[in-house]
Amino acid sequence: MYSIEALNLSHHFTKGERVLDDISLRVKEGSIFGFLGPNGAGKTTTLRLILGLLRKQQGDIRLFGKPFEQHRAAALRQIGSLIESPSLYGQLNAAENLLVWQKVYQCPKKRIAEVLDLVGLSNTGAKKAGQFSLGMKQRLAIAVALLHEPSLLILDEPTNGLDPGGIVEMRTLLKILNQEYGITILISSHLLSEIEKLVTEVGIINHGKMVFQGSLDELMERQQQVASLIFEVNRVEQALQMLADQHPTAVIVQGKLKLPALSNEDTAAITRRLVTEGIDVYGITRGDNDLETIFMNITNN
Amino acid sequence: MTTSFIHSFQSEWLKTRRSLAAWLVILGGFFIPLIMLTARLLYPDRLPGDSAASDFWEAFFSKCWQMMALFLLPMGVVLATTLLAQLEFRNNTWKQLHTTPQYLTTIFFSKLAVILLMLLQFLILFNLGIIVAGFLPHAVYGVAYPQEAFPFEFFLTKSAWFFVDCLPIVALQYLISLQFKNFMIPLGAGIGLMVASLIALEWEYGYFIPYTYCPYNFFELRKVAGMGPQSVNVHFWALGYFVLFTLLSYVLYITKKEKG
Repeated sequence: MYSIEALNLSHHFTKGERVLDDISLRVKEGSIFGFLGPNGAGKTTTLRLILGLLRKQQGDIRLFGKPFEQHRAAALRQIGSLIESPSLYGQLNAAENLLVWQKVYQCPKKRIAEVLDLVGLSNTGAKKAGQFSLGMKQRLAIAVALLHEPSLLILDEPTNGLDPGGIVEMRTLLKILNQEYGITILISSHLLSEIEKLVTEVGIINHGKMVFQGSLDELMERQQQVASLIFEVNRVEQALQMLADQHPTAVIVQGKLKLPALSNEDTAAITRRLVTEGIDVYGITRGDNDLETIFMNITNN
Repeated sequence: MTTSFIHSFQSEWLKTRRSLAAWLVILGGFFIPLIMLTARLLYPDRLPGDSAASDFWEAFFSKCWQMMALFLLPMGVVLATTLLAQLEFRNNTWKQLHTTPQYLTTIFFSKLAVILLMLLQFLILFNLGIIVAGFLPHAVYGVAYPQEAFPFEFFLTKSAWFFVDCLPIVALQYLISLQFKNFMIPLGAGIGLMVASLIALEWEYGYFIPYTYCPYNFFELRKVAGMGPQSVNVHFWALGYFVLFTLLSYVLYITKKEKG
């Protein structure tokens, strides 16, 4: 079963360029779905459409298997969200901010203390939310999203403005929420490295189009296709000529010899051959083998 | 729907805690009575005359309303309504509010109800302030209390008309504040209309301007001849404008393409 099914969504703000062009997105129940794309790719617009914050122009949105428009209130009762910057009332303290939403959701009052504890804000007392650091505001916004025990969390760049420690903390918290509480999470980010350790499935959007959707393993497979091996040698031109027959795609990049990714055995064989022919090998490194590069490759094409 | 309206209203009321609008209501409510109290405490020799007057309360009420009706109340309503309606823009919370399982109608009317309740709160505080400013100096200096029995009905009806006369200001400010993120737009429009209404007070069709009704009600209270429209019930006009602006505001709010 899918928690979110957004099918063939298209959207434009003015008569000009489409912000979203036939986007389809499926988020499986119980998964952590990473929604990736560079700034301005259309991530926030997609999430705002899913949450009903923007009027849908084209396409179909189903949440928990039911059409969103006909079951808006029931669907929203099961969703916790954090879209872009935290939504907090600056003149109220953390508990009062949560009380505002507790009245609406009519969840038990004890949830306020529970979620404050969960995000590590139990001791903020009378301090007003407006005086919080960005990290604290972000955590309070997560507490708001979790207050009514939603089964789906939609988080738009929740690590924005957090320091490295805060990012790790946020990741740990989201893992706990997914694994221990079974909450489905849709998290957007423009940095793959930030969420690659967290997500089980990935969707990549660029210029309003979905350019990849699948499991993290599938993304890793793509990585293998573009990965390379770089040899740092003393006579690079001679080395290129020597390997041209067996490896015609080899090229010289920044004074180094670049070949497609090879097995360990092949790497050892090439090294032996170079050394036998009197070429000194200073170093061998794997290039373009990180997820960030594949992300860049996908979004740049 | 009713239950969710109550919950929504409670939530909206909580948001006003420590807000600028809440302080404005409290300080605004006591501002004029405090000045009157100070004046009466500074000139105790006038108290015996007040005690003897047969219409002390009506005269004192009217004196307190002078600045309030002409300028402070319309200005306060413009400010408080704008501040309350803009609370979500200022805190970037529309997107959070619009992703709660509430009908948009519930959100719209619970916000409006909070503003109206705060207006009522202001009038209660203002009247309480007048009563305290009327009695306290007599108690402090041991001078006899005003001989005139306290005219509850007079206070109640006159204040109720002021409430009604403020409604079009509330509705129009609410409408503008919900549509524009920039705080200066509703504030500028409110101040502009207020100034226009002050200029138009002597105009025979001044009652067309929805911000003129508080001053007109005051002229009626003071029985100022030649001021205010003849044979026109401004309170009905106020109610009419309120219904019209509220409906328009509701339609614009419901049909807004972007909700946060």
